[in-house]
Amino acid sequence: MAGSINRRALRWLRGQLPELVAAGAISPENAAAIDRHYGPVESRSNFGFVILATVGAALVGAGIILLIAHNWDDLSRATRTVIAFIPLLIAQALVAFVLMRRNESRPWREAVAVFDVAAVATAISLISQTYQIQGSFSDFMKVWLLLSIPIVYLLRTTIGAVVYIAGALVWLDSRWGFIFGRTESPTLFWGLLLLVVPYFWICFRHNRDSRETATLGVVLALATIFGLGVTAEFTKADLGAIAFAGLLTTIYLCGIKFFPRTDERLHVIALQGGIGIGITAIVLSFKSVWHMAHTVPWGQGSGAQDLGVLLELLFPVAAICLLAWDVFRKQWRFSLSAAVFPLVVASVWGIVRWCDAQGTDPRCEFAAATLINCYALWLGIDILVRGIRSDSLARANFGLLLIAVLAISRFFDSDLSFVTRGIGFIVVGAGFLVANILMFKKRSAVPA
Amino acid sequence: MKKLRIGIFVLVALAQLAVPASVVWTRGRTLVYGRVWKFKTQPVDPIDAIRGRYVALRFAAETLQGSVQKPEQIAAESTIYVTLKEDADGFAQVDQISATPLTGDNVVKAVGCYSQDNADRVRFSFDRLWVAEKIAPQAEQAYRENSRRGKENAFVTVRVRDGDAALEQLYIDNQPLADYLRAQTAKK
Repeated sequence: MAGSINRRALRWLRGQLPELVAAGAISPENAAAIDRHYGPVESRSNFGFVILATVGAALVGAGIILLIAHNWDDLSRATRTVIAFIPLLIAQALVAFVLMRRNESRPWREAVAVFDVAAVATAISLISQTYQIQGSFSDFMKVWLLLSIPIVYLLRTTIGAVVYIAGALVWLDSRWGFIFGRTESPTLFWGLLLLVVPYFWICFRHNRDSRETATLGVVLALATIFGLGVTAEFTKADLGAIAFAGLLTTIYLCGIKFFPRTDERLHVIALQGGIGIGITAIVLSFKSVWHMAHTVPWGQGSGAQDLGVLLELLFPVAAICLLAWDVFRKQWRFSLSAAVFPLVVASVWGIVRWCDAQGTDPRCEFAAATLINCYALWLGIDILVRGIRSDSLARANFGLLLIAVLAISRFFDSDLSFVTRGIGFIVVGAGFLVANILMFKKRSAVPA
Repeated sequence: MKKLRIGIFVLVALAQLAVPASVVWTRGRTLVYGRVWKFKTQPVDPIDAIRGRYVALRFAAETLQGSVQKPEQIAAESTIYVTLKEDADGFAQVDQISATPLTGDNVVKAVGCYSQDNADRVRFSFDRLWVAEKIAPQAEQAYRENSRRGKENAFVTVRVRDGDAALEQLYIDNQPLADYLRAQTAKK
């Protein structure tokens, strides 16, 4: 039951009960019955304390790392080896204590998990220094992450899971480099990310409306976006546009389907996907994006590149399956214009491939960009209309923002005259004003 | 359930201990039983925020002589196996290069590098010397001053055992780094 009820709504309802009784709207018996219906009052989450405990443990861990990084020459190699193991043994003793005696205390679990993870890093680092081990930073991160992930499950630590995902991103950066283009395979990143997915599933099953589950979901989705970016760059199969459209639509649809809300607002995961769709549509509306590089012909890449291509195709397929499932059951709550994004991008991609097999005809790129511009305009108008209908100022303005950014992009990358550009800006600006005035009027017309 | 959890934790704890312990075991044996090789150094010192400070090392032997037997092409960043020999002064030189694994007390792992000044280059795996934070700046300065052209006065000893290479000591002016720095401080 706890999983299916919006706890914030429940808190609000419970807060309203005394007022309703006082106003005579319901009887005290009714109030008690409603209260009973929703089960016992859950204690307020001690999230603040959990954070403080975790930060404390992290600081202690970081302090130990710094002390050790200071290095000491006066001690013999054997002494240093013994000292290297002491923080790890203390952390492990604490983990055992928590598992046996404090298993229900979340602050204990989170703090000890962070301490153990830091102690593993400390032990590996100190031994590496003492024995002059030369391994690369990415090797170090990989070993550290693999030794840390079981702790996430054993101690059920969401903060640990978030830190683990951040670590996987650091590994990806050290291996690939978001700044300096390198060509090492990012395949292991997906393996590292997969290791934390069951934990997200456990959180989802136990408490899907909690802040922690939402945070983990958002972080996981962000990491997937980065991973897909690197994979698309690595495979060089010109599939990045379809892959991104598929991934962001999957995030959007999953947010709507698996995190339903009773009000008109979007869950933060659906919101993340929706904003991603808008941004990607704008990016794809530029002509130059549709210039197919044809760097690695299909079927001629390495095994890792082929696997990357499969991963790139996985997300659009997942999005289309989610879309088809709800459409056939005729019970969708999503915006159709956003949900068909991967289909639109795949169609445009197919047209470009068909029209310009060699990648030399600029007219094909122009046609592709025009189609995406039309789509982005439709998306913006649809979001605007949905925002006005559901009385959501934020949504309506996001729709307008999308149209505005689209217009501005076209004004700067096309050869329109200054007069045309000026009129365009005035129209878009007026649109903003009119839509907001209408919304405020609608709101003030509703009786309080 | 609790017993299962504890059981799994015991395995995880053993794995967490095993990783550093295996290093201690393998590298410890190399440092005791490995054959000693001397490598003449060339000049650099970045900071690794997590693992303390180290002196980045480069070696004269990393630039290949014309006589080295090697495969047709060595791809940059690919792992290669290097057989060592001693020159007339007792310093290590590359004898042969193989793309397939070799073992022995004269074999070290390396990676292929891009050619520089028309000479093929490799990079040995032991390219960092961890040093104490307080002596790091002096160590770097001493290394730079004694590894430049005209004053090549530094070398490292590396112990090699069955393909495992363990950096042992940096010598400057024929003294271990710590002794050299102490002597320099005493002079001032």
